[in-house]
Amino acid sequence: MENYVTLLDSVFRALADPTRRAVVSRLMRGPAPVKVLAEPFAMGLPSFLKHLKVLEDDGLIASKKVGRVRTCWVKAERLAAAESWLLEQRALWQARTDRLAAHVETHMTGSTDDAG
Amino acid sequence: MQAEPSELTIARYIDAPPALVWKAWSTPEHLARWWIPHPIECQVIKLDLRPGGGFETRMREGAGDFQPHVEGCFLEVIPEARLIFTTVLTEGWQPAEPWLALTAIITFEKEGRGTRYASRVLHKNAADSRRHEEMGFHEGWGTVIEQLAAFVRRQG
Repeated sequence: MENYVTLLDSVFRALADPTRRAVVSRLMRGPAPVKVLAEPFAMGLPSFLKHLKVLEDDGLIASKKVGRVRTCWVKAERLAAAESWLLEQRALWQARTDRLAAHVETHMTGSTDDAG
Repeated sequence: MQAEPSELTIARYIDAPPALVWKAWSTPEHLARWWIPHPIECQVIKLDLRPGGGFETRMREGAGDFQPHVEGCFLEVIPEARLIFTTVLTEGWQPAEPWLALTAIITFEKEGRGTRYASRVLHKNAADSRRHEEMGFHEGWGTVIEQLAAFVRRQG
């Protein structure tokens, strides 16, 4: 477990994005072609493929191309490492921090000048 | 020295001065907007910003009753710079046995025209923290982790 923290960091980084979390959620129901995975997202295929690459680089998913179809699936052994209370706590605090940033930047910065 | 797995640090840049980030933390109306993710509703019961002052938030999903979320007390309050709270004490230094024992050290540091905002969170131990999962606690993001856990268990 000496690389526990590093491992968590990489898994956490991979899952720190809503698109990537959604992809992993979907893949836990079973393997799926890239085209099907990309459907729910309002982004170009190149952007979506970047997300898949992060997941694949961090070993959370794997993919294989057969003919013209690339199919993805989740890698259970890596996900086992993610079953961690600390990861959950990190995710919670990361999301909380991001919400704070979004709230301040979106709803409060207009008042900066007024407040002097 | 490698960090103990029971400690975590989250830091990021926020494009607003420390005074404003502090305001988002120290004003109940603002805190309620970001402390808990949508669609869960947050109620700020206590936000007594002084050492020994109570800190309590409750949460509600849908039309049910508000449930306990965080209950603790502040240990240190330095406006626009540092905020420390713990859940092992409640208002007035009263010892407590929380479902999740933690101490959070929140720092607000001026960086350029914005703020370097960091949360360092200390936990008692893994076993203690696992208990809260058994109690069915969840907070939005936890969903995917729960799915992961269930998935991993299925793979057995």
